[in-house]
Amino acid sequence: MSEILSSEVVIIGGGVIGAATAYFLCKEGAEVMVVEAEDLASGASGACDGFVSLQTKMPGSHLKLALESAQLFPSLAEDLEVDIEYNPCGGIMLATSQEQMKELRARAKALKSAGLEVEMLSAAELKEYLPEVGKTVKGGSFCPGDAQVNPISLTLGLAQKAQEMGATILRGCRVENIVVTNNRVREVHTTAGNIHSRRVVCAAGIGSNQIGKMIIVDVPVLPQRGQILVTEQRDPVLKTIVSGAEYLGTKANIPELLPEDEEAARLGLGFTAEQAASGNILLGSTREFVGFDNSTTPEAMNAIARNAMRFLPWVEDLDVIRSFAGLRPCSPDGLPILGTVKGVRGFYLATGHAGDGICLAPITGKLLSELVLDGETSLDIEPFSLYRFK
Amino acid sequence: MLRLRKTGTVDMGRSSGKGKGADGGRPREGGESLAGGHGDWARAWEVSRRKAVAVIDCRQEIPCNPCETACSKGAIRVGEDICALPVSDPEACDGCGRCVAVCPGMAVFLLDRRAGGGMAAVTVPYEMGEEPRAGEEARAVDGEGKELGKGKILKVTAAGGTAATKLVTLEVPEEWALKVRGVRLREIFIEEAEEVEGYRGAGDCIVCRCEEIVRSEVEETAGHGFRSLAALRRASRVGLGYCQGRFCLEPLRRELAEKSGRTVEELGFGSPRPPLRPVRLSRLGGGDVRDT
Ligand SMILES: Cc1cc2nc3c(=O)[nH]c(=O)nc-3n(C[C@H](O)[C@H](O)[C@H](O)COP(=O)(O)OP(=O)(O)OC[C@H]3O[C@@H](n4cnc5c(N)ncnc54)[C@H](O)[C@@H]3O)c2cc1C
Ligand code: SF4
Ligand code: SF4
Repeated sequence: MSEILSSEVVIIGGGVIGAATAYFLCKEGAEVMVVEAEDLASGASGACDGFVSLQTKMPGSHLKLALESAQLFPSLAEDLEVDIEYNPCGGIMLATSQEQMKELRARAKALKSAGLEVEMLSAAELKEYLPEVGKTVKGGSFCPGDAQVNPISLTLGLAQKAQEMGATILRGCRVENIVVTNNRVREVHTTAGNIHSRRVVCAAGIGSNQIGKMIIVDVPVLPQRGQILVTEQRDPVLKTIVSGAEYLGTKANIPELLPEDEEAARLGLGFTAEQAASGNILLGSTREFVGFDNSTTPEAMNAIARNAMRFLPWVEDLDVIRSFAGLRPCSPDGLPILGTVKGVRGFYLATGHAGDGICLAPITGKLLSELVLDGETSLDIEPFSLYRFK
Repeated sequence: MLRLRKTGTVDMGRSSGKGKGADGGRPREGGESLAGGHGDWARAWEVSRRKAVAVIDCRQEIPCNPCETACSKGAIRVGEDICALPVSDPEACDGCGRCVAVCPGMAVFLLDRRAGGGMAAVTVPYEMGEEPRAGEEARAVDGEGKELGKGKILKVTAAGGTAATKLVTLEVPEEWALKVRGVRLREIFIEEAEEVEGYRGAGDCIVCRCEEIVRSEVEETAGHGFRSLAALRRASRVGLGYCQGRFCLEPLRRELAEKSGRTVEELGFGSPRPPLRPVRLSRLGGGDVRDT
């Protein structure tokens, strides 16, 4: 490439986190370039559910981040030209044993005192929200603040809007090296040429560890596979997003809520169901560490189907038309890694969102734009620092 | 079922086929000779006074020969060059109608003039949803779908061929006997194509039927710079419907190749994901997924 590329800020990764960061930076008038190895939304952001789930977050900084993020969705839905299918539908988490009920009740209490509205429902009370549930379902918790969004449209919508505001988006352009001199980022080497830039945001999802190596920093992000079944389209039947308590158990590693079945535990099986605006019902999901393999497996598909029938018996009549798998960028504690890196000025991390990246994308984008442009953030991101692991 | 039309219009003065001397002879009542190469027809016309015989109106030299294969009497020959037009031998034919049922171009019909009295029985294939019944009236149409007039249905059979194909025998005046290529049971309500509102012309046809996505939508999405087939699918939902793209991915790849200036090979196929065909969730949850 003969022309010399340069940009005030280079964002590595065109997933939901990179796109959100580009969007908020452009809002502030920054000159932005997004460098994406494949296509927009080709990573986890294009292979996931669209839960904007608050009741699955840990009270404390995690919940705070999610609450702030959730508040940004309505205005994003307004501002973006793409319909992101944002639906403030509320969410239900189902318990299949009294022990799980007890655990959910305790959590509801903790979440409530942290400012989140959560209500416990008996099996009878569930009827109002859900069509027939399985016999083993003992009840559940309902969080009116939970919502749903189309993750692909969200990613594409954010990127498109950023582009309209002046961002350059390079697709099929892989970052191969980052040049640091005098403790400062200077240049990003890509398959499309070298880009001069003094500020680089790493939003490379499961590629973040590789990016970290380029500046000799260990970014502990591992791919965690999640598999999903997609059913045929149906008229609206699910009014809310739905999950099972084991989903929270495997997600947040809560011993009391882990699946008892050995195979389910091995697959990290946790029930999720949501009906997309298209009418398809997405049934999930698993959590496995199998490297960069994103294929779907017969075992997991069987297990997801069986598990789904346990919670919502009527799904047995649906045709499954597709399956898919995505690789969550997972940090050791499952929480995002946000902030700067010691000794390398101009390098910022926005990665490791694991199973929360869609939900946390708006706030991540906003905080990152503040950090890059002002050097400080409106919300304390210290708890998400890379250095919490050391 | 969509049928390839191998027949042309049924103006029997002209035949579009260039094979074996099909230069447009046509049989007429009243002593006019059946000039030219449609000798088969002339002979068939004569023989049809004694028995039912197959008449072949096949005009395009495309690779096709089910008629030959279907005939156990050896009465139809296409020969080694599969593109050649079929030749029939009315004497050998016993009027079983298998060739009528199998011909994908609806180019074969049976002619039977035994009844006499200026009437002929014509047997044509029928594949629409309605049930034609013996004794009822039906409209006889020519190869362009133009109505010739009404005739009585004498017989309905499922002779040979695919189960969906029925053979309908219609009694018509001899004058039209060679023009009938089909029957119609219903009135056609829409007379003029212009009257159909919102019809998208061939330039903007549906590429993905499951998701009802038209070509221009795909073009527009492709114009946003997506590089791979997978990305185009994610962005437009094309190919993400019930059929999983079995029907639409090929035209789509070509479209995207054109738009992106890349070759279809470079675009890849997207990663096919199980199940290959829609499968009941209960089956997936109960049995072994590998046998579905
Ligand atoms: C099955 C499943 C269900 C999920 N459900 C939910 C949910 O309901 N709610 C929710 O909030 N979250 C959910 N998630 C999590 C969510 O999908 C992720 O957290 C989020 O998509 C991460 O976004 P990202 O932008 O960090 O990563 P990605 O979307 O993976 O994007 C990273 C991008 O960086 C690019 N890249 C990598 N390396 C390089 C390089 N060297 N040069 C250039 N580009 C590079 C990649 O090509 C990729 O496009 C789910 C995930 C899965 C797998
Ligand atoms: S009607 Fe029967 S016998 Fe006659 S040509 Fe057709 S297949 Fe052969
Ligand atoms: S089956 Fe025979 S008559 Fe029919 S189109 Fe093919 S070659 Fe022609």
